[in-house]
Amino acid sequence: MSLHDLVFGAYPYLAGAIFLLGSWIRFDREQYTWKADSSQLLSNKNMRLASNLFHVGILGIFFGHAGGMLLPHSWFLAMGISDVGHQYIAIYAGGIFGVMCLIGAAMLVYRRVTNVRVKAVSRNRDTFVIAWLLATVALGLSTLLVSTGHAAHGDVSEMIALTEYVKSIATLSVDPSLLKDVSPIFKTHMFFGMTVFLIFPFTRLVHVWSVPVTYLTRAYQIVRVKRIRMN
Amino acid sequence: MSHFLDRLKYFKKVESTYSGGHGIVTSEDRQWEDTYRNRWRHDKVVRSTHGVNCTGGCSWKIYVKNGLVAYEMQQTDYPRTRDDMPNHEPRGCQRGASFSWYLYSPHRIKYPLVRGRMVDLYRKEKASGKDPVAAWEAIQSDPEKRKKYTAVRGLGGFVRADWEEMTEIIAAANIYTIKKWGPDRIYGFSPIPAMSMISYAAGSRYLSLIGGACGSFYDWYCDLPAASPQVWGEQTDVPEAADWYNSKYLIVCGANLPMTRTPDAHFAIESRYNGTKVVSMAPDYAEYVKFADLWMPVKQGTDSAAFMAMGHVALKEFHINKQDPYFTEYTRKYTDLPMQIMLEKNGDRYVSGRFLRASDFDKNMGETNNPEWKTVVYDAKSNAFVVPNGSVGFRWGEEGKWNLLEKSGADQSEIEAELSCVDSKDEVVAVDFPHFTPDESDTLTRNIPVRKLKLASGEEELVCSVFDLQVAQYGIDRGLGDNLATSYDDENVPYTPAWAEKVTGVKRADLERTGREFAQNASDTKGKSMVIMGAAINHWYHNDMGYRSIMNLLHICGCVGQSGGGWAHYVGQEKLRPQAGWAPIAFGLDWNRPPRHMNSTTYWYFHTDQWRYEKVDADDVLGSTAKAKYRGHQIGDYNVVSQRLGWLPSAPHFNKNPLDIVKEAEAAGATDEAGVSKYLVDQLKSGDTAFAIEDIDAEENFPRNLFVWRANLLGCSAKGHEYFLKHLVGAQNGVMQEGVAGKDSKEIKWREEAPVGKLDLMVDINFRLNSTGAYSDIILPTATWYEKADLNTTDMHPFVHPLGKAVDPAFESKSDWQIFQAIAKKFSELSEEHLGTQKDLVSLPMQHDTPMALAQPFGEVKDWKKGECDLIPGKTAPLFKVVERDFPNTYKKFTSVGPLMNKLGNNIKGIDWNTDLEIEQLCKLNGVITDEGISKGRPQLVEDVAVCDTVLQMAPETNGEVAHKSWSALSKKTGVDHSHLYEGRHEEKIRYHDIVAQPRKIITAPTWSGIESEEVSYNAGYTNIHEHIPFRTLTGRASFYLDHEWMRDFGEGLCCYRPPQDLGAHKNLPKELAGKLKGKKTLTLNWITPHSKWGIHSSYQDNLRMLTLFRGGPYFWLNEDEAKSIGIKDNDWVEAVNANGATVARVVISQRVPEGMAIMYHAQEKNVNVPGSNTTGKRGGILNSVTKVIMKPTNMIGGYAQLSYSFNYYGTVGSQRDEHVIVHKIEDADVNWLEGDLTPQREAQLNPPGINN
Repeated sequence: MSLHDLVFGAYPYLAGAIFLLGSWIRFDREQYTWKADSSQLLSNKNMRLASNLFHVGILGIFFGHAGGMLLPHSWFLAMGISDVGHQYIAIYAGGIFGVMCLIGAAMLVYRRVTNVRVKAVSRNRDTFVIAWLLATVALGLSTLLVSTGHAAHGDVSEMIALTEYVKSIATLSVDPSLLKDVSPIFKTHMFFGMTVFLIFPFTRLVHVWSVPVTYLTRAYQIVRVKRIRMN
Repeated sequence: MSHFLDRLKYFKKVESTYSGGHGIVTSEDRQWEDTYRNRWRHDKVVRSTHGVNCTGGCSWKIYVKNGLVAYEMQQTDYPRTRDDMPNHEPRGCQRGASFSWYLYSPHRIKYPLVRGRMVDLYRKEKASGKDPVAAWEAIQSDPEKRKKYTAVRGLGGFVRADWEEMTEIIAAANIYTIKKWGPDRIYGFSPIPAMSMISYAAGSRYLSLIGGACGSFYDWYCDLPAASPQVWGEQTDVPEAADWYNSKYLIVCGANLPMTRTPDAHFAIESRYNGTKVVSMAPDYAEYVKFADLWMPVKQGTDSAAFMAMGHVALKEFHINKQDPYFTEYTRKYTDLPMQIMLEKNGDRYVSGRFLRASDFDKNMGETNNPEWKTVVYDAKSNAFVVPNGSVGFRWGEEGKWNLLEKSGADQSEIEAELSCVDSKDEVVAVDFPHFTPDESDTLTRNIPVRKLKLASGEEELVCSVFDLQVAQYGIDRGLGDNLATSYDDENVPYTPAWAEKVTGVKRADLERTGREFAQNASDTKGKSMVIMGAAINHWYHNDMGYRSIMNLLHICGCVGQSGGGWAHYVGQEKLRPQAGWAPIAFGLDWNRPPRHMNSTTYWYFHTDQWRYEKVDADDVLGSTAKAKYRGHQIGDYNVVSQRLGWLPSAPHFNKNPLDIVKEAEAAGATDEAGVSKYLVDQLKSGDTAFAIEDIDAEENFPRNLFVWRANLLGCSAKGHEYFLKHLVGAQNGVMQEGVAGKDSKEIKWREEAPVGKLDLMVDINFRLNSTGAYSDIILPTATWYEKADLNTTDMHPFVHPLGKAVDPAFESKSDWQIFQAIAKKFSELSEEHLGTQKDLVSLPMQHDTPMALAQPFGEVKDWKKGECDLIPGKTAPLFKVVERDFPNTYKKFTSVGPLMNKLGNNIKGIDWNTDLEIEQLCKLNGVITDEGISKGRPQLVEDVAVCDTVLQMAPETNGEVAHKSWSALSKKTGVDHSHLYEGRHEEKIRYHDIVAQPRKIITAPTWSGIESEEVSYNAGYTNIHEHIPFRTLTGRASFYLDHEWMRDFGEGLCCYRPPQDLGAHKNLPKELAGKLKGKKTLTLNWITPHSKWGIHSSYQDNLRMLTLFRGGPYFWLNEDEAKSIGIKDNDWVEAVNANGATVARVVISQRVPEGMAIMYHAQEKNVNVPGSNTTGKRGGILNSVTKVIMKPTNMIGGYAQLSYSFNYYGTVGSQRDEHVIVHKIEDADVNWLEGDLTPQREAQLNPPGINN
């Protein structure tokens, strides 16, 4: 097996499996570590800007990637979005959210290593995960150099290859060969991106699972029945 | 099974709904709740309490989890009080609830610590081959070496050390000091044994065995109300808190109940449900004011004027206008009001003289025993002068007549003492009374009805009753032609309500109404009117006047000794209930008697050289009618006289090593104690040996070693803190003036150069690094209150509490008992070679509650040095006792109960009993020492619990058999059968493990004046009234009049109003200080230092929780308008400064504080958030940096019935509340934290710049 196959054939499943199983195990075993570990109480300086930029940016990127990559090609065509149009949307939306996320993440990294109070409570993994996300988004933005060139020439092949590849992972029929001609910058970005899933259960990122959307529909009062356990 | 899978039951999530769908029922997992349950789960619960002198004595549950103390909670298993009374629990306040923080806090002392420079010197000397004692000697005999470590005290520099080396240094220092200077140069300071009595006893036992002096604390703290021994001959005895509930009228004055009596305050509040009226007197809007019916905002320091006015009303309406039958009977039987006084001619008028005695009459009125000590009344039944039972003369040398039954001493016939001779007077004469109110005459002249009487000497005397004197002095007109007050609105006659309004600021109508209601209530209820009082009125220079004015009111109204009535003084007065069992252990009385005791106020006044700076002229304190044999003497000189005449104790005793005095005496042919005493008498007469106090600044008279344990001497109670630092410790100090006043001393040798750094070694034993530790040379880590077995009692309730060992002492700490054992062991080893067995001479003042209290009759001062009498030890001078010190056996003695308990028995308050049975039982209970040597076969005192049980076993309060023996001994003296007081509990024994199971109520003991009963609550003076046991005074009655010569000289024969004393530290400022204050906006304010909720003596304000809640460090309070007037805003940095020094703190601005005072709560230390003072250039000080202690000559009287010394019982008190300071703002930019390195320049500059000597 070539390195290419290992990284783009096996690694996605490895990362995915660790992501899912790891999250499950942590949720079951370490309930009191299941949290965002916010350090905002220790220092709130610039956090309104940094945290919002970062979170809005990364959520935009997440949903952009998910929508753009996983929705069937035909749906876009049915909506009247041409492939070139699709690519431009990806470039602009990705660019805007990416820059927001980049600035936010950079501010957070800076804060984490320079603010004494925050630094004092930071574990290695806290610094690592934000730095890794910063690197990932920086790589993602640098792909724009390539993709804007393609788009200017109406070349959508690389975009199609990437979306097809992602769909092949999702459908458990991964085909690394789809990426054969893809620019190395995309591949590096993808490796970084998949690694985010790998490290996910070991970091504060688990709070993503618990995004409290159910609060929107929650009853005003909840009675949790007391069951006597005979253990 | 799995939190995740459980969440997947999407469709079963909602089991049902209610409230129209607004609520849902789910079966979600609830295991997460266990986390919160586990927070409160624990491995064991141990009963303990807090050994801090808040007097709470609260039982606590200490929860231990994983070997650590997790938290504490109030115990609620007290035996209940009787029907219709609230219970004691829950006891315990926020202070106690947060104590567990200290165990593992950054303040905790984990290992023995030593001053780095000192241990370097010591190790170097030892490395050169010297043994420990020689090594210590080498350091001490080289001033350069010594200064190297003494001059940096207080500047950090501690290093971690080990127990072995530290006990060795301490033992070596003690041995060197004993050899070179004498054992009386070793001093120990530790307060309030009741809060952890075994810990106290540890240090005091060690010191007593080696001949060191134990310093008093109650008087030094100024918590001892000198008025109590003066009036009742009783140190302090007060009602338990529950008795407040029985009161029907409460005046609360200077005791902040909810703040400083937190667990007991509920009784006062509950009494209001019971119909009790509560009147509060406080200058500020204090917490307790809030639950009073009336607030009388009295100007600080003028309380006695207010109480005198209330006394005026009560006396006039219930004794003069009508004779209330209850009051009349009470005052006749239980007070000295009917006692007869001789008047002395003073120009064309008279002044009150001494009590008439049996010895003044022909054939001593038939009294052969102590006729000079038996006072006289006029019997209305036989119309003759008679000697009634009960005066102190009946107490010693005979039996059965020392009681308060209304009987004639001669034939035991029934008598009825007459209060006043106004209806059968022979004459009316004018008598002068000294008066001290500013801008009024210094003498009040009053007309008194008198009888003429021919004495045995043939002289004709005029005599009158104390009652007639007292009525006249209160300014009540009786139609005797002196035009006194006929109306309460007469403001020109002192002690009327109108006059008091001028002085106190309290409305006359309030004083009049309160006085009348207080008396009417007492009349209706037979004495259930009570005054709760405390530090705020007791910390003044003339505190005895303040208190006597209250006692007068109480006696006029028959309240003392009645349940729900009387005085209730609560200031650091914790009651050491099993005192009789404890004292032999604490002072080594089982091996050697007597121990060496010293009154600390005198000790520190001289050894910190505050006498050199004295600005109060004793002549100014004298009354206008004084004969004043010692006019021109300074305050300090009076103390020299006092020691010389055997009144107050001394330490060091003489300018020679007491071991050498015995050696010299023996070399000169003395063979026994009498011979040694004779030798010393000759030496003193010739001047070859002198009292140390006469040349207090000579190096041979310095204190050399100081132990401080369970205490915070420097950071808290050191009135004159900066003088301590300067002269005693030799550290950086902020004294802003030169000491020059002492130059004019009549009795003390003046040395131009003041000594600096008198102590060779200062040892602090604590679990917490406080200001005292910071200045010490060695700090030893002790166990906290959750880490040792000990005993705790209080007067707020009648229970005995244990301190329990919830966990082992953390880190390298040990219990105090084990620490002093370790020191004793090392000391014994090293003394083998250096000391051996020697004889020590102890100079003993005339003791209260012994026949020595009858030493100097008639209250006349006769000074042997002036040739007025011969020097007779124990009579006109101290008693000289020879004590054998078997130094190498110190450890063996320390760890066993010695044989004197069998040979001499035990005693308390002049009652003796045999303890053979108790010792025999102790051998079985605790086991005996099996090692060869002097302690073989004696009950062991090795383990802490055994020591607790020994104390409990030997005390009448906790052993019914001992109660039986001691009461029987007292019954013999009084001729009254007291057995019903203990009968039901004769067989009972309370052991340590009993009190661990549940707090136990003590057994009634003759040590105290109240009783434990199911009928009444504990109340002071109860047995005096109900059992007819005399008060321990000259007359045997509660005293309105004190006839000692010095009392009359200083104008305090009768109680009078004395205004706060001008101490002078804020006036005529020294040039250095005046320069610093130039151009600054300042306020001059009275410096009030009340007890705080969070820091009392040895409790702490540096608890992180409290610092976080309030200001983060020291602060003091100012009035809002006054602060504004000099531009001070809340939380500014401010400085309070005067000639004594400076303190820097944050300021709290409040409407609560009246103008004219600054309030800085007690015991705020300089270890957290205290910057430098720009005035002194040194660290910003503590509350006592601006104070200086001041003594009162009348408190130095001795050898005269109740005016006789006993440890913590009578003597000088360390007042500080009359002090004034100058307050100014410090700009934030000017705050200097003094965080620079220790440069040689800084090290050399001990004093503030410009101060030299």
